[in-house]
Amino acid sequence: MVVDDISVVYRTKNKTEGRTNARTSVLKNLRGLRRGESTVRTTALSKISFVANQGDSIGIIGRNGSGKSTLMKVLAGLIIPDTGTVYASSNPILLGVNAALISSISGAQNIRLGCLAMGMSHAEIDAKFDDIVEMSGLEHEIFHPMNSYSSGMGARLRFAIAAAVDPEILLIDEALNTGDAQFKDRSKARMEKVTAQAGTVFVVSHSLGTITGMCNRAIWIDKGDFIMDGTPDEVAKEYRNFIWRMNEGNADYGRQIRAELMASLPEMRTTLLPNGWKRSR
Amino acid sequence: MSIQEEAEVAQNEAAQTEAPATVAVPVNLVRLSKVGQRPDFLDYLVQLWDRRSFIVFDARARVQSGNDKHHLGSAWLVLTPLLNGLSFYLIFGLFLGTSKGIDNFIGYLIIGVFTFSMSTRSILGGAKSLTSNTSMIRAFQFPRASLPIAVNVRELFSNVPVTIVMLLFVIFTAPAEEITWRWLLIIPAILLQFLFNLGIGMLLAPVLLKVPDLSHLLSFIIRFLMYVSAVFFAEERFGKYPVVRTIMDFNPIYQVIKIIRDSVLYDTTPSWRAWGVLGLWALGSVGAGLFVFWRGEESYGRV
Repeated sequence: MVVDDISVVYRTKNKTEGRTNARTSVLKNLRGLRRGESTVRTTALSKISFVANQGDSIGIIGRNGSGKSTLMKVLAGLIIPDTGTVYASSNPILLGVNAALISSISGAQNIRLGCLAMGMSHAEIDAKFDDIVEMSGLEHEIFHPMNSYSSGMGARLRFAIAAAVDPEILLIDEALNTGDAQFKDRSKARMEKVTAQAGTVFVVSHSLGTITGMCNRAIWIDKGDFIMDGTPDEVAKEYRNFIWRMNEGNADYGRQIRAELMASLPEMRTTLLPNGWKRSR
Repeated sequence: MSIQEEAEVAQNEAAQTEAPATVAVPVNLVRLSKVGQRPDFLDYLVQLWDRRSFIVFDARARVQSGNDKHHLGSAWLVLTPLLNGLSFYLIFGLFLGTSKGIDNFIGYLIIGVFTFSMSTRSILGGAKSLTSNTSMIRAFQFPRASLPIAVNVRELFSNVPVTIVMLLFVIFTAPAEEITWRWLLIIPAILLQFLFNLGIGMLLAPVLLKVPDLSHLLSFIIRFLMYVSAVFFAEERFGKYPVVRTIMDFNPIYQVIKIIRDSVLYDTTPSWRAWGVLGLWALGSVGAGLFVFWRGEESYGRV
């Protein structure tokens, strides 16, 4: 999987003037609208490039709002970046906590619906149905409507559905934090199975323990910038150091670390080999 | 495997030297493809066809669950148009007397209201299919046109009992109508109507996603459409306004209603002109809808 120079810019409405102030006149709002003052551009990711190899399990760390989830959505092809391209050998599957299914139908029907959405056939689903139910850890609840599930149960069901397709590239967005200990073991086994089949796994987590325990590589992004890429222990060490400096109030030193690490990154340049051209080797 | 190994080697070398060097990564498009890129139009249609079981299952699941929270459940599929018909009958048939000059006004009204309500629900549902399914869009990678298609298929499914009730109404309310082979003509008419609704829904859905304000206008447009479809009065009412007559002549929903009325109530074979107008609209809108929807395919994930 090659990630080439992707940037994502979100355009959102700037609401600072809206409700927080005592009163704003309608006229002023309209004027603001005309001048386009109310929209701000937030750079969620800026010029991120890296290569992920088969067999890698990559942990992604960073503070809140640093673009981790956006990166996952871009890798999964759910968001098309403003610049840059993602190349992959197969279609990546994203497991997110907020990937809601249809809440009014039962878990069993949701399994079928989710699997069909991912392009499986009825026969394949029939073959895998029991595995999915077992993976989700739901018993008779599988026939209850999904809006009666607890958030943990819902998350487990989603994980089980998305893991059912045997993806070559699996993206996990904080889904591991929601389950209980039993579920964590199951999902870890599932991840190891994917990497063992020469697949690639990406894990977003705020728990450095999860990343150092499960991954063989870690990537640190901060406010949309690619800071560091290395072994989980190295990256975790620098990240802890950075967070510690920031919390201590020594923000300048923290920023210095950040800038030094960024400057030491090699620049990546991709060259496209044309489609259908066989390399002689 | 080869490119990835090469990239890894290059990266390791760069890491060893610790200097910001440039890593060259060749991307072999034979093995790697762009993620999330919309396919060619024809490939897109093939992908859609491959997801047909998803579309049908989604439609079925939603028909069942749509009325789950109501005590009468699926009976509302029939009750809603029934009550609609009744209220229009009271207002326009009895109080305002628009029934003048119409044979079998109850049948006329029921067919108009039932047929029009299918288009209303399908077009509104199709137009909102992207805005109301954002969680689905963010969770799975599938051809997004499945969503408006599923909504329209669901409406087609739920329209089956409605159509049966409509025909029972025509049979059991006086003056009873004779059942002829022409009754079968309502099947192609409803299928063409389905295609037209689908196309319009697919044209509107991307626009609605970009300009959500439009959803407020939509109900007014639908209301205007209802008045030029002669749902509860005779089309001669607009005789004084040739412009409105022309609009009606080219209004596909009016043509569907007219075809069904002609074949069920008045024992006349619908004119070729009516079929032509309806067919052109149906095929044209579904073609344009698919194309426009496909062009925006990549943009639906980010809102």
